[in-house]
Amino acid sequence: MTKTKAEHNQANMENPEENLKLVLVGHVDHGKSTLIGRLLYDTDSLPEGKIEEIKSICDALGKEMEFGYVMDNLEEERDQGITIDTAQIFFKTQKREYTIIDAPGHVEFVRNMITGASQAEAAILLVDAQEGVQEQTRRHSYILSMLGLKQIIVVMNKMDLVGYSKERFDEVLSELTPFLSGIGIDPGYVIPLSAKEGDMVANRGDNMPWYDGLTVLEALDTFEPSKSDLEKPMRFAVQDIYKHDKRIIAGRVEAGVLHVGDEITVLPSGERSTIQSIEEFGKDDVQAAVAGKATGIVTKDKLFVDRGDIITAPDAAPKVTDTFKAHIFWMSKDPLAKGERIIFKCSTQQAVCSVEEFTKVLDSSTLEKLEGREEIRNREVADVLIKTDKPLVLENFNEVPELGRFVLERLNTCAGGIITEV
Amino acid sequence: MIVVYAIDALEYTKVEQFGCSNLKQAHYGKTDISEFSQPRTMVLWSSFMTGQNKEAEILAKGDQEMWNTRIPHEKTFFSKFSSPAVLDLPGYNYDLGVHEQSRKLLKDFFSATDDEQKEAIKKQYNADAFEHHRKIKEQFLAELDADHDFVLGYFSVADVIGHLNFGNDTMMKLIYKDLDELMPKITARTDKVLVLSDHGMKAIGRFGDHSEYGFWSTSFDAGLKRPRITDFGELLTQTR
Repeated sequence: MTKTKAEHNQANMENPEENLKLVLVGHVDHGKSTLIGRLLYDTDSLPEGKIEEIKSICDALGKEMEFGYVMDNLEEERDQGITIDTAQIFFKTQKREYTIIDAPGHVEFVRNMITGASQAEAAILLVDAQEGVQEQTRRHSYILSMLGLKQIIVVMNKMDLVGYSKERFDEVLSELTPFLSGIGIDPGYVIPLSAKEGDMVANRGDNMPWYDGLTVLEALDTFEPSKSDLEKPMRFAVQDIYKHDKRIIAGRVEAGVLHVGDEITVLPSGERSTIQSIEEFGKDDVQAAVAGKATGIVTKDKLFVDRGDIITAPDAAPKVTDTFKAHIFWMSKDPLAKGERIIFKCSTQQAVCSVEEFTKVLDSSTLEKLEGREEIRNREVADVLIKTDKPLVLENFNEVPELGRFVLERLNTCAGGIITEV
Repeated sequence: MIVVYAIDALEYTKVEQFGCSNLKQAHYGKTDISEFSQPRTMVLWSSFMTGQNKEAEILAKGDQEMWNTRIPHEKTFFSKFSSPAVLDLPGYNYDLGVHEQSRKLLKDFFSATDDEQKEAIKKQYNADAFEHHRKIKEQFLAELDADHDFVLGYFSVADVIGHLNFGNDTMMKLIYKDLDELMPKITARTDKVLVLSDHGMKAIGRFGDHSEYGFWSTSFDAGLKRPRITDFGELLTQTR
């Protein structure tokens, strides 16, 4: 049911099939868990017996079974945390496989959402038809726009609680549309639905004859996946070096596929060599490692590599730079001022950096532009120019997310960000 | 009205793990039951309601008879309230038949050697526990709507189900969520709520056994750090 990124990429390499990664964002009470549970149920993607087990316990407790409980209980089977290898949830339509990246809508989990959402190729934005547009809806919408997600479905959930009324749908839409337009989001679809009852998720149902658009699954099937991880130029992030009978460079394939015999360049030093072998515990003669795979490599030549170096394909090397533009979302109560030094972490790379320029600072809720600002405060977002104290191997987030996504830290993570221009 | 939401074996770590934000209220933590040689349900609730360590007195009755303990009303702090309602509390007024049947089935489960027999016993054991839970929920909500100055509802589902199913996170999470979802119905009727367990629960393989601390939470700031279970009676009578 749940796979790591490497397992998924490996399966895809052996048996290529289309996959689209999507994130569900919205207020925690707008029915995100219920919609995920419904998507899994309607596509027959749940572990065998799970829905029956949950229904049976709900009956025993004297309450109605809700699809939100399904999602709640699947969380017990997943790793949680802000790691690159966050386990994901899959479901299938006839066209392709989908990966849902969980993105809780609660304020305190905005930070998780930044990390989860940044791997997505499409998004479903949830709005509660009864409650209308909430503060978190606005912020999540802005985060989506910052992450450059173009393929967006807006779903207006809980239509069952407003009598499946077209008037209410239009009323909420009239509040939401100008806001989304103002931050550059043009949703491909706006779909009224009831995740609880199942209307317009996989099946149309009979309750909204006034809506003649697509269901959620139909809409998702019209989206295009971005370039597969496997098609991107190879990037290997060095984590450590082990010296046993051979000198093994341990790390993670962040993009593309690494093959025995590949010519490589180490950045930022520029040293070159060839992959002699790929080392995996308990396995002989491994010929390739796909994006997401943590593995070890042995090179033909002895290289002076260190943790934080990036090994790449020589003909498609990324930029090595100490200055770049980015979006950041600040999550600490203590502000960050222009010129203040802070730790920058991107993949295995770490440096000290400072914000040289705040091009724009916005309140993430109201989108009010905060004029003349030379600092960023809690829950604000900013377009910035960052300078690091040493050159790093960086990519535009939309090209290679793993080398385009970063965090800023003091004692704890203070900000998440994405690189927009190197 | 002061309400005590007494949940047997409510485990602090599971409240955290399952995100039971309602049960946590504004202030919460673990209780100190280290003065007791073992975390026994009857001893702990009897000590709670009297404000005294009742371990020696209750254990002196022997394994069988201790389950029939009935602390006289005037010896409990409930007597300080003019119109208290206490539901199914061990050592006070709990349903002897229901809980004796539960203990019997538990014993039968561990005595059975046949897997099929074990499953049948477990099925009945779970069904009985859930049925009793549904009944108590209904009674509790009815008492909350009546004219009382003190209401205590005792919920045994987490303890009873936990003994045979603590390793089943799906089941335990749904139970904890159900208990958590009852809180808004309580806080809609009063702003003085104590959530209290006698002890918690720890995993023994797929089964559960009592742990060495309980859970407490309050809607009001009582300055509690690591209270003893015998401290609450006086606290609640002072909070009136």
